[in-house]
Amino acid sequence: MFRVAAQLFRYRGLLATLTSRELKARYRGSVLGFLWSLANPLLLLAVYTFVFSVVFKARSQGADPYALFLVSGLFPWIWTSASTLEGAMSLVANSGLIRKAVFPAELLPLVAVLSNLVHFLFALPIVITALVAGRLLGFPVGGVSILVLPLIILIHLPLVAGLALGFSALTVHFKDVRDLLANLLTLMFFLTPILFPLASIRHLAPVWWAVRLNPFTPYILAYQETLFWGRIPEPMLWVQMGAVSLVAWSFGAGLFERLRETLVEAA
Amino acid sequence: MTEPIAPPLPVLAPAEPATPAITVEGVTKLYRRTMPGDRLRTLKSALVGRSLTRGLRPEEAIAALEGVDFTVGRGEAFGLIGGNGSGKSTLLKLVAGMLKPTTGRIIVGGRVAALIELGAGFHPEISGRENVFINGAVLGLSRRQIESRYADIVEFSGLGDFMEEPVKNYSSGMYVRLGFAVAIHTDPDVLLVDEVLAVGDEAFAHRCLRRIEEFLASGRTLLLVSHSLDLVEGVCDRVLWLEDGHQRLVGEPRRVIDAYRQEVAEKEGEEHKAARQQRQERQAAGGTVSEELRWGSREAEITAIRLLVGNEERYHVESGEPVVFEIRARAAQPLDDFVFGVAVATPRGNDVWGTNTDLEGYVSGTFEGEATVRLTCPALRLGPGDYVVDVAVHSKDGAPYDYQRRALAFTVTARTGGVGTYLPEHDWSFAGGVRWAGRKGLEP
Repeated sequence: MFRVAAQLFRYRGLLATLTSRELKARYRGSVLGFLWSLANPLLLLAVYTFVFSVVFKARSQGADPYALFLVSGLFPWIWTSASTLEGAMSLVANSGLIRKAVFPAELLPLVAVLSNLVHFLFALPIVITALVAGRLLGFPVGGVSILVLPLIILIHLPLVAGLALGFSALTVHFKDVRDLLANLLTLMFFLTPILFPLASIRHLAPVWWAVRLNPFTPYILAYQETLFWGRIPEPMLWVQMGAVSLVAWSFGAGLFERLRETLVEAA
Repeated sequence: MTEPIAPPLPVLAPAEPATPAITVEGVTKLYRRTMPGDRLRTLKSALVGRSLTRGLRPEEAIAALEGVDFTVGRGEAFGLIGGNGSGKSTLLKLVAGMLKPTTGRIIVGGRVAALIELGAGFHPEISGRENVFINGAVLGLSRRQIESRYADIVEFSGLGDFMEEPVKNYSSGMYVRLGFAVAIHTDPDVLLVDEVLAVGDEAFAHRCLRRIEEFLASGRTLLLVSHSLDLVEGVCDRVLWLEDGHQRLVGEPRRVIDAYRQEVAEKEGEEHKAARQQRQERQAAGGTVSEELRWGSREAEITAIRLLVGNEERYHVESGEPVVFEIRARAAQPLDDFVFGVAVATPRGNDVWGTNTDLEGYVSGTFEGEATVRLTCPALRLGPGDYVVDVAVHSKDGAPYDYQRRALAFTVTARTGGVGTYLPEHDWSFAGGVRWAGRKGLEP
């Protein structure tokens, strides 16, 4: 895992080039181009607001306005799950590069992580604007706590990177991972308090425990605290995030490291 | 277009002779055989931390390389030859660091650039220009370093008008041009080239070779894999011949390449022999051969033909060796008008030499029962290549009794150079103002 980190540092320039290329490639040939990075979260916000406020009339359990609560957890989750899925496929999708050329393979899952991070960062102004608007309308949302957001993202990053690295190497050997992973992430999504405030399920003991023990939960809670509730996350959340990130990075990068020599042959 | 003047390469300080550029020590590379039903076991060993390649049972592994040992000095051009699947590309990937040896070790001094496969390392969707930057960065150059060499790279590749095109629109020649241009301009200490040069056109190949000469002269190292033996002989200082992952021979190019050619010819000779045997067995068993390969009235019949070199039946011949074409024939009824003929041609049908008993003045008397006809050439001076032989027995006015087209084939090898189908004994001599710097490739 140290070697992976060293490689990433050594090729940081290339990592940046590849990430910006990935972002450019995504919008090549589209009329709105980079504006999609802003339009996508905006549309998502609109769709979820419509579905959960109008169609389902979700009980917001004090989390008002619900759409704002939703997006403060949803965008970090989208970053996590999109990076993990894209990262898992990154080596297989670029097998030509790995099999036939001397190429630092660890860059590929990280490109997936970073390009999705950029999308996440592009969504933040939308979230912040919406929070400001909510505050102006008299809702007690947001606050200066947003200043610790960069720190949360920084702690979140090794988790996402570890997942992308580990699953990318596994997918090379076991194509089954791809299908398993997509469904596993959907399950995780519903076991993370993104659609509902954690407090709202306290009476359902088994589910409450499943959600509490879900390693993604502390991150989502921290984002919601910081963005929606306008509070600095309590120390326990920071400890949990740090521990999960450390484990995820060690395991993911460690697995990648161990399978590295087989990637060229199997990709 | 004018020839770009390559910027002089910085000359490396002469390293201690004791530190080679590439050291390959007892390297064995096993590949995992893909076996049904062992995916789960693989998953388990991946997760619990056992290696996926060490400790494989013999039936689970395929040895791509076994016990390979050699060193390449700085400034040396080292060639790898051998048939398909002999392990050349695996060895190159090992030296490039893309693969790890199963046992043994590989030490490479300095930065390596590798041109392993056509278009490898290029993103098809993005422009040539962006690819140069990505490729350069992979080879270890900073953005600023690539920017300062960009103009040279474009000029060397001759792709000035195409740099903004996505490389998926490039021809295979253009891929190679760009790939080689980037690789050579990143000043690697060791350059690995697999075959790709064969794809470029003649002019570009020459430009590459000139650049490789400069590259070598500046103390850098080349590892070249090619099926073009002439290219290997022209460029390399030493050559390694790999066969089925084993090291057959390593040393002076001419010697190794000759030995390799000789063996390839022997194998071809064996194939020619087997083909001839098969055909004769089929004929003997009363089976028919296509009308295009055998025709005639069969008043006389050719029952066998073989090639004797010295006293040995074989179908690979070193140019200049004594050769006998031996025909066995049979006439059921007595014949008084008969001619035996032999014709040698290239496989594409160009006549090389032909003769018959009539042309050489033999007047037929009688032919009855079994006969053996031998046509002896004390020295068959053919150029290197494959040849096919037609044999016939026919009447004086040309009506065939038995005409067998391509009755046998053989392969000729030659130690001295030259092109064409004829290789006379020859020697050069010089007088006056001509001086030679030396003569390559002729070992005692």
